[in-house]
Amino acid sequence: MGGLSASFLLLIVLLLAADLMFTSAGEFRAALVKPEIQYAFRLTLLSCTIAAILSVWVATPLGYLLSRYRFPGRSLVDTIVDIPIVLPPLVLGLSLLILFHQPFPFSNWLFPGSDWKLDSWLRDEVGFTVTYRWPAVVLAQFAVACAFAVRTMRVTFDQIDPRAEDVARTLGCTRAQAFLRVALPQSWRGMITAGTIAWARALGEFGPILVFAGATRFRTEVLSTTVFLELSVGQLDAAVAVSLLMVAMAIVVLLILRLLGAGLSA
Amino acid sequence: MFFTSDEWEARAMSKTLLVMIGSVGLLGGMFWMLSRGDTRRPTMVTRSETGEPTGSDSDELILFCAASNQAVVEAIREDYEAETGRSVQIQYGASQTLLSQMEVTGAGDLFLPADDSYLKMARDKSMIDEELKIARMRAVVAVAKGNPKNIQNFSDLLRDDVRLVQANPEAAAVGKLVRDVLRRDGLWNDLEQATDAFRTTVTDVANDVVVGAADAAIVFDAVLHPYPQLEAVQLDELAEGTSQVSVGVSAGTMRPASALHFARYLSAADRGLPVYTEHGFEVDRGDRWSDVPELTVYAGSMLRPAIEETIVQFESREGVRVSRAYNGCGILVSQMKSGQHPDAYFACDSEFMNQVSDLFPESVPVSQNELVILVEKGNPHKIASLRDLTRDGLRVGIGHEKQCAMGWITQNVFKEGGMQQEIMVNVTVQTPTGDMLVNQLRTGSLDAAVAYLSNAAGSAEFLDAIQIQDIQCSTATQPWAVSKDSEYPSLAGRLFEKICSTESQEVFAAEGFRWQLGQLNSAPSNTFTRESSPVSRDE
Repeated sequence: MGGLSASFLLLIVLLLAADLMFTSAGEFRAALVKPEIQYAFRLTLLSCTIAAILSVWVATPLGYLLSRYRFPGRSLVDTIVDIPIVLPPLVLGLSLLILFHQPFPFSNWLFPGSDWKLDSWLRDEVGFTVTYRWPAVVLAQFAVACAFAVRTMRVTFDQIDPRAEDVARTLGCTRAQAFLRVALPQSWRGMITAGTIAWARALGEFGPILVFAGATRFRTEVLSTTVFLELSVGQLDAAVAVSLLMVAMAIVVLLILRLLGAGLSA
Repeated sequence: MFFTSDEWEARAMSKTLLVMIGSVGLLGGMFWMLSRGDTRRPTMVTRSETGEPTGSDSDELILFCAASNQAVVEAIREDYEAETGRSVQIQYGASQTLLSQMEVTGAGDLFLPADDSYLKMARDKSMIDEELKIARMRAVVAVAKGNPKNIQNFSDLLRDDVRLVQANPEAAAVGKLVRDVLRRDGLWNDLEQATDAFRTTVTDVANDVVVGAADAAIVFDAVLHPYPQLEAVQLDELAEGTSQVSVGVSAGTMRPASALHFARYLSAADRGLPVYTEHGFEVDRGDRWSDVPELTVYAGSMLRPAIEETIVQFESREGVRVSRAYNGCGILVSQMKSGQHPDAYFACDSEFMNQVSDLFPESVPVSQNELVILVEKGNPHKIASLRDLTRDGLRVGIGHEKQCAMGWITQNVFKEGGMQQEIMVNVTVQTPTGDMLVNQLRTGSLDAAVAYLSNAAGSAEFLDAIQIQDIQCSTATQPWAVSKDSEYPSLAGRLFEKICSTESQEVFAAEGFRWQLGQLNSAPSNTFTRESSPVSRDE
């Protein structure tokens, strides 16, 4: 059994070694000093973190709801939450694009003759452009990352004994107080894990971003789309260098999150 | 250290609150950084249609560009922004993905796909208006440097020891092109069976050879430019496998002049095309670059009402100037023979195009115009045929045979009708244009005039037209040609496309012309004669 597990670790190490052998330190340095890659690095870091935090905010109450309560339509909600996980990434991007740019669902049915469009309203009335801008990057990442976070939080609450919350309620706590004062403090590890998974998933997100946010340099280019662009023009060295940068970035962020989780649990 | 249960709860709650508040603060901070970053990203000053600088993102030009063209287009974009001060936002992706994005969002001013098959798809969906040709690519076999498998001809690709990879004919242009070319020669089935894998993009195919997953791959030659570790092998069987790279202007763009400004830069012989050449493309001729190019067009006077409005619209959309000279074709030919060289010439009749065929070797017949007898409304002199023009005392006006096509054709009609001498006795005036004859008829200084039907199109309430029957040469054909020396052949070509548009053809019809060059409106356009007066028959 140990050998089987070791073979997986060996595979990952060999993959990284192959990447390292394919590129050179000079190529790596050249990639790092490019302004467009620096911009993509910054946008990736910020958008992934925003998507991860939003995911944890949404996933915690939703995971708690699915774990603790039985209500009509629960199975349907449970299934809907999983849709972004099973949906092909490009389809998700296309769906976002259609949602924002075609007449809003049921608008014509509710208000005959209406062709109200979400993107036009946000852009013209609110002054907040989404498509082909950074909000589209965050939304595309969030749509997928949140589904993983919900799944993680649900399992977390499933594993926490509800007895403590029941006791709290017999002592006068409301449902909300039981959640905030008893369940939430016990779910730190789960929240850190959900945040980690959401961040990592957002980092690797590519298809929906390409379709919904585009790959515009200095605007919506994140590191995953940089790899795609470099591959598209035959710059394999640069593509591998950026890939390694993503690996390094992921390792650093995951280590920080683990340390943070350990600190909070202490 | 020991805590009581209340202390534990207080610590847990304070930690919860701290993290919740902290995460909200972190989110707010990061949103602010992104918003700030979005406005601070490197952007050149943009200019509006009128040339005025504007700072708004919504004024920025958006180009949807195939990822395979990224390197060359980025280089051209840098030059363009530095030279003109205008900025272009470029969105890269797979051609098909970009096309779908344009279709769903309606966004994008320009579309530059990997090859023009995607532009054709966009045109079929009425998403593209103008199309500017840039470069060509040729299908070749990519092999590792030194050609270790010694692939020299088509049969080598079928060898068992050669791992061949191709682009999927359903997903990539080069795959479809190769399949179409080889199917014609009955070679496709063999090659398909010898192919180890089909990939979705042409760069995936080239990458396979780079990493050693394949020995040979069929790609476009231009794709190999960034791969120093690969070389191309040209095969006779793929000689016809060429593909065109063009940029299309979105039909729905709100900034047509700005879009065409960058499109002209991309396809300019002294701007974008040399960069394409550096990147391994075979380029087309291209126009000379000018910020606001000036196109010179010579056209017969009769064509003025039919093309003037189209030219005005063209100037506005393209952001260019069209210097036009309308005159009798004889005069225009004299000017050209004396050294003036317009970019395009729209002649009243083929005869006057033939006289300058050295300047305009390739002309296209566009429309036809009918010679008629024009008389005062109600036809007080009861003129019904050419013969009636020989009556004593009748004042007749015709075109000058040396100065305009109309006059030259009129003389031919008189000769063919066998009454040249008799009618010329009554001719009191010969003018260089038909418009002058119409004016003289309206002032009462003439009783009849032989002119084009189009000359009287605006005077239906004052004049009647009598058709000249049974004389073939009474119809003039108007050809269009672009000068072989023109510095703006593409621009002139686009003007011609506008002249051939459906809207323009309707104007030609309304002005009494019969459209000859394909498409619609082949029926005679006798709007004037039908509505104002029945056409009299020449005997």
